[in-house]
Amino acid sequence: MDNQYVLMIFGVMAFATFVTRAFPFIAFSRSHDHPMLGYFGRYLPPMIMVVLVCFGLTGLQIETGGRLANATLAFAAVTIVQLVGRNTLVSILVGTGLYVFGIQGLDL
Amino acid sequence: MSHPESSDFAVALRDSSPVLFGYLPLGMAFGVLFQSLGYHWLFAPLAGIVIYAGSAQFMAVGLLAAGVSYAEALIATLLLNSRHIFYGLSVLDRYPKRGVLRWYLIFGLTDETYSLVTAKTPERQDSGRYYFYLTALNQCYWVAGCALGSSLQSMVEFDSRGFEFALVALFLVLLIEQIRAMNERWLLMIAVMSSVIAYGLVPNQFLLVAIGMCLLVLFWRWSRVSSHG
Repeated sequence: MDNQYVLMIFGVMAFATFVTRAFPFIAFSRSHDHPMLGYFGRYLPPMIMVVLVCFGLTGLQIETGGRLANATLAFAAVTIVQLVGRNTLVSILVGTGLYVFGIQGLDL
Repeated sequence: MSHPESSDFAVALRDSSPVLFGYLPLGMAFGVLFQSLGYHWLFAPLAGIVIYAGSAQFMAVGLLAAGVSYAEALIATLLLNSRHIFYGLSVLDRYPKRGVLRWYLIFGLTDETYSLVTAKTPERQDSGRYYFYLTALNQCYWVAGCALGSSLQSMVEFDSRGFEFALVALFLVLLIEQIRAMNERWLLMIAVMSSVIAYGLVPNQFLLVAIGMCLLVLFWRWSRVSSHG
């Protein structure tokens, strides 16, 4: 096995990943008090969160009606438990527990 | 506001615990997959330490199997992770302005860490030490998952089907908390529409295109707001 090749690929990918993460910090380091950045900092995160929720849903492989019902139920459970209890961990455990039970326990 | 060290750590431990349930099974899945290439099992946690990007690491398995060139690996990773360019915009003010800590926080700005960091309202800004614990704990969960998956590959009987919902639930909970503090909620409908359009047009570049569209609308909106007021 060519260990050097793996290490080089890791190095290249680590470099590329860090570049994408560091880019805005370098590009905007002198203008961090610009009003546009404040506006984006306020409204971009909830929009990106919506996109990430949608992205996560596309990864669930909802191919059957049973799976759709299971995902909808778990999604609603997280929403309701969070709105009522406001405890992040509890909401996630309840929703994930329901979903995993549907997938593994009911074999959906 | 400065907390005692133990309190920063305790709060970070509590805040990051949902990520544990997402990263451990996902990291294990990566470790198991990586072992199929036949390299030493320590390479999988090494990837978690130096690359630390879920989707990029899964892609790395494919790239290594295909034996791609270094240039191809570079371009593929830049494209895959280009959504991160937008993440820094929202945390510029929160992170320390200089020092090694700043660069570690930037290095560790994954989707999940980003979600947790932006979930803190600006009025409740925490210390750089809190952000360090949060970032480092998340990376520990991830590296532990990678190591468990690759080292115990043959012995693991753990059935992880369905656990991918934990990350959806995490993003959803954080979204709910952000909506509470938000006006201009129509922007969220724009984000939903962007997601639907991006999924329909370019499912392979879903995140990049959807976030790009959000950014365009937000830029248009900002130019209107700022010119009127």
